[in-house]
Parts: sequence; structure tokens; C-alpha cells
Amino acid sequence: MRDFVLFAHIILGLALIAFPIIILLYLKKQTNWIKPLSFATAAISWILLLPAGKLYITFYPATKTLIKAGSWSWAHSIIMETKEHWGLLLPIIATVAAGMVFTGKAEESKRWWILTIILSALLGIMGRIVKIGALQ
Amino acid sequence: MIKFNFYLGATVSAWLLVILIVIAEFIVQFKTFLASTFGHHWIGKAVIVTFAFLAFGFLLKNRNSIGDLSDDKLAWYSVLGSLIVIFLFFIIEFFK
Repeated sequence: MRDFVLFAHIILGLALIAFPIIILLYLKKQTNWIKPLSFATAAISWILLLPAGKLYITFYPATKTLIKAGSWSWAHSIIMETKEHWGLLLPIIATVAAGMVFTGKAEESKRWWILTIILSALLGIMGRIVKIGALQ
Repeated sequence: MIKFNFYLGATVSAWLLVILIVIAEFIVQFKTFLASTFGHHWIGKAVIVTFAFLAFGFLLKNRNSIGDLSDDKLAWYSVLGSLIVIFLFFIIEFFK
């Protein structure tokens, strides 16, 4: 169960880096699949909350205990606390980006897609730091 | 197409999230209230922020600015500001 949720979390998170990159590359070419892909990306950002929440609420407490007992307690207090809350803004950012594509403001959507990519990548890196923190 | 102001919905939810985090960290009863109402304080924040995004996106659908600030700039700086404030808040809390 844990592995399935973890893989879903990672795969959906990677999609939130890959899909916006594809959207940015083809945004000016007015291809007919940009809107469906934008919608799918925003949908994925909301769906991602499910495995993220399951991991955080069900499986993370044991990891948290390990981190807080070790020498990297900041990995929970700063990194994980920030990650769990930044993650709540990710679907809103991706939805704004998709919303701009749907309302004909493709140019305005660019910086929101870039923010989606950067934030998704940062959340992934932060997850890795938390994982390492449990081993310290 | 249904009108929806993505920018102002994002603006309100970005700052509301900061407010919820700060209140939940300083007032234990509020964090407990979120946990007992929604099952976990994180779920509570997620539900409230999502509801605010949708509600204010629809309520403010006919506005394109707040005061002198255009909604796109307001949303952009609010979201960036929220991300920065959240990170700084937990750094300060850790070293306090």
C-alpha cells in the first residue's frame, strides 16, 4: 500500500514538471491539444493531494519521530512543515496557469507554468531532504 | 463559459493559507479544531483554502483589480509572497 501511494506521488509529481515543460514548448504553436493538456495538468495537481495526504497523514508520523530524534530535526521543523503547506498552493498555481490558457491569456500563463515546474521540483527535493533527515 | 477570476481566487487563498498556518501554530485550540472537524489540520487547511479559491474566484469574477493593483500582479506577488512567508515562518519558529 505504502509503495503504491509513494509511486503515485512521485509519478504525478514528475508529471507536474514534464507536462508544463511540454505546454511551454508548444504554447505559441496554437496546437489543439494544449487546452486538454493544461486541463489534465491542473487536474493532476489536485489529484496529487490524495497520495500526498495519505503519505503525510498515515505514513509520515513514524518518519517524523525518527527525524526529530536525530541530528536533522530541522528537516521536519523547517523543510517538511514548509513542504506540506507549499503543496497546498501547487494545485492553485497550476489551475491559474490552466485558467489563463482557457481564457486566451496564453502569454500570461507562462510564468504560472514556470512556477508550477519550479515548485514541483522544489517539493521533490524537499521530500528527498526529509527522507535523508530520517537517517541522520 | 462560466466566469471565474482565477487571479483573485488565488490571491485570497494564498494569504488565507498564511493566516491559517500562523493561527494554527500559535493557538493550539484552533489546530485541534481543524483536526477534529476535518480529521487532520492539514486536510482542514486544504479544504478551507480550496473553498476560498473557488468562492472568491466566483464572487470577484467581475473585478479585474483591487485598488490600483491589477488582479494578475496581485495574484503573482501574493502567491510568491505566501510561499516566502511560509518558509521564513518555519525558519523563525525553529530558531525561536
